[in-house]
Amino acid sequence: MPATLPTSLRRRTIALCLTFGLASADAFAHAAHAIEFSADIVSRDSAGLAIGSAAKLYVSNHKVRIETPEASAGFLLTDADAGTAYFVRPAQQVFMDAKQSSLLTQIFVPVDAKDPCRRWQAAAGIAGVTNAGGEWRCERINDEFVGDRRAALFHVASAGSASQRWIDSDLEFPIKLLAADGTTIALEHIQIEAQPPSLFELSPGFRKLDPRALIERIKHSDAWVDP
Amino acid sequence: MRINGRSHLAWGMSAALSFSLAALANANEKPKDPADSVKTETPIKHVIILIGENRGTDHTFGVYKPKGKQQTISNLLSKGIVNEDGSPGPNFALGQQFSVTPQKSFYIGAPAKAKSAYNNAGQMPQPNTNGAPVTQGTTGAPFVPAFLAGLAVLDPSPDFNANTDTILTTGFTGLPSDTLDSRIPGAGVLPNGPFVLQGANISDDDYTGDMTHRFYQAWQQSDCSVANVTKANPTGCLNDLFPFVMATYDLDDSKTPAVQHNFSEGNEMGFYDAEQEQASTLKTLADRFSLSDNFHQSFQGGTGANHFMLGTGDAGFWSDGNGNAITPPANEIANPNPAAGTTNKFTADNNFSNCSDFTQPGVAPIVSYLEALSYRPEPNCATAHYYMLDNTNPGFLPNGFQAPSPGAQAMLPGSPVRTIGDALNEKSITWAYFGGSYNDAVALSNDAVTAGTAATLNSSTALGEAALADPAHSLGVAYCQICNPFQYATSIMGNTAQRTAHIKDTVDLLADIQSDTLPSVSFGKPDGLLDGHPSSSKIDLFEAYVQQVLDALEAHPKLKAETVVFVTWDEAGGYWDSGFIQPIDFFGDGPRIPLLTLSAYSTGGKVNHSYGDHVSLLKFIERNWKLKPLTDRSRDNLPNPKMRGDQPYVPANMPALSDLFDLFDFDHAVNQPFLE
Repeated sequence: MPATLPTSLRRRTIALCLTFGLASADAFAHAAHAIEFSADIVSRDSAGLAIGSAAKLYVSNHKVRIETPEASAGFLLTDADAGTAYFVRPAQQVFMDAKQSSLLTQIFVPVDAKDPCRRWQAAAGIAGVTNAGGEWRCERINDEFVGDRRAALFHVASAGSASQRWIDSDLEFPIKLLAADGTTIALEHIQIEAQPPSLFELSPGFRKLDPRALIERIKHSDAWVDP
Repeated sequence: MRINGRSHLAWGMSAALSFSLAALANANEKPKDPADSVKTETPIKHVIILIGENRGTDHTFGVYKPKGKQQTISNLLSKGIVNEDGSPGPNFALGQQFSVTPQKSFYIGAPAKAKSAYNNAGQMPQPNTNGAPVTQGTTGAPFVPAFLAGLAVLDPSPDFNANTDTILTTGFTGLPSDTLDSRIPGAGVLPNGPFVLQGANISDDDYTGDMTHRFYQAWQQSDCSVANVTKANPTGCLNDLFPFVMATYDLDDSKTPAVQHNFSEGNEMGFYDAEQEQASTLKTLADRFSLSDNFHQSFQGGTGANHFMLGTGDAGFWSDGNGNAITPPANEIANPNPAAGTTNKFTADNNFSNCSDFTQPGVAPIVSYLEALSYRPEPNCATAHYYMLDNTNPGFLPNGFQAPSPGAQAMLPGSPVRTIGDALNEKSITWAYFGGSYNDAVALSNDAVTAGTAATLNSSTALGEAALADPAHSLGVAYCQICNPFQYATSIMGNTAQRTAHIKDTVDLLADIQSDTLPSVSFGKPDGLLDGHPSSSKIDLFEAYVQQVLDALEAHPKLKAETVVFVTWDEAGGYWDSGFIQPIDFFGDGPRIPLLTLSAYSTGGKVNHSYGDHVSLLKFIERNWKLKPLTDRSRDNLPNPKMRGDQPYVPANMPALSDLFDLFDFDHAVNQPFLE
């Protein structure tokens, strides 16, 4: 992934998520099985050229860890069963809701190829994207190979935006997204292997932060101008 | 407070590590120090201007004894207003403050017969905790120590260590909000005059209550009238209505009980004692380099207008976005006349005035006063121009997005006023504005554009909402938009190449120093947590920011040798000051602020008395790089002051502004550490 996802792609991809149901742990709770694997997340422009540096993805038991340059001081951790998405700062033993800090937490979640929209919609709900509750449509187009992996291709539409997404049949996990402008975000170098549990752990001593108090303090400075 | 190491600050430099590393990598590919190839008038090849928030000269250096031989200073101690320990001195009455009986309309020079001194102890409005943090917070300063580091997702720096870091965790009041600040010795019965912010429960490491610092309030506090003119004070500004204005401009005493929303009260009269180790980093720098004791905020009032003047030598105005002055929405136009039945409650405390029109509320008293002065300064108010007198966010977001409805969003339409950046560009002289947390602010701006709020809300609100949705970049709310004069300018922010080339983050300033690719001209502004602003920051946090930059320079002796670092403030923040004020036009000057000049050519603990303001910094740049004044109306057209021995603080040729060259001895370089 690039340090910052291209604005155009980001806008489009967020637009895909503009309609949601309520964030629901239940929506994640039905993944049939969980294959553990790791991969690189690579973004490419319409000409196929890589954009920025790759992010790293680790998946185990419906938990996903993403290490991305756009949040280099820590890692993103989603737990499909718990219905959470956090940004974790292990050195400081703190974490916070990832919300929309990275689009990757809304795209790369375990999905059920029989009903993938429900999981993506739930992920967007966890991210707190506005206009929740709108209609999502995931239309299965066909099956095809992405590299050497068989995948189900879906046309995904929400809130007037659309993309194509490929779901790996064995991994039950999205492995590629094609935006309307030809930009792709895809998993590469997928390695199916057991993952260390420590990659997905939030130690008991970690504490959760909320930026609201920071904003309140800043309101007393001249950096903040009330309209 | 002196801070060892850099760890305490690193998190405040809020860009991702990837940004700083990328900056270093890219920088290493550039030719070394492009500024070396540009001809300058002096050995100075680089100027760094570091700007803190809201501290005046007497507030910071009121009790300071110059280190240099035969140096003198005008301050509370030298005038006998206070003693060296901060207690009332033999001439304490020189600092006394007054109340004023109700008047029919706004005034800047109160009639003598309407004024009464606060004679009894405790009668003067007393210090208040106004806005200062009550306790430590998990995500707001001062932080619970364990949360400090983590807050900064914020902190990309590997050397950050919460266990060694203290000053972002300390200084909460422990008192209720908006109440008497009983940490200050004698609070509640303080006599009429300045009081020292020092005692068992208060020091320069404590958050203190804020105070309003706005245009019409500041003019009124200065109490300027030709009726007060003397030989020693030829502009007749008495500076004796500071607590009164704060206590009344927002007081609706037509109601019973009276309604008051502002709690600035008597905070204006607080000061630090540099001779007793308060603000000791600043004192050390003054001891070793040069301090100006006749340097002023260029604009009466607050942050935005003063930074705008720093970048342009002029005031911003409401326009159609294409350079044509138009009338702003009615709710933007000020009316400081007292509301019916009140002592002094402003009728409409808004941000813009057409000062070319005598009939506009608030205008006539100021213009009449200017016309009555012996040197008759021009108001410099263009016809039908509504000038930005108080804080208004720029019409551009930090990412360059232009607000489509600036009137509805309470943001200044894209400004056509020429900036020093434009002038430097024309001569291919490198420059940059380095704003703390700017990279995070860009990320939040991108979020706000995506969410649609950038097109409908004021940018502060939009970024605040974005921060809740994107906590990893939440520190972007601490980036100060109104502090960046170039963020107003269509020529800079409306041009992606210009914006990305010149508007950067503090991490980029440090990276540029490290890679010897520092621009010729740099403006450095810390974010809202480190800028030293009362109630939201502390003076020692700004000292730490300054030290961070100086430490970086210290490691690069060649660069340091050809660099001058100016350390100053945007304004005095409402703090009372005893110094002379030279009105230059409708907009200012205002009270004194410190200016420290740090270079190999300005050493020895000297104190410079030449009259200057923010525009003096522009004049220095223009003279050093052989540039012309920015426009035919900008203040950089003013001549250098002719200072006389018998009136060392009053230019004989008012209005006049120093270009600061007399602070330097370019024939003698003294290489010494910034700090011991």
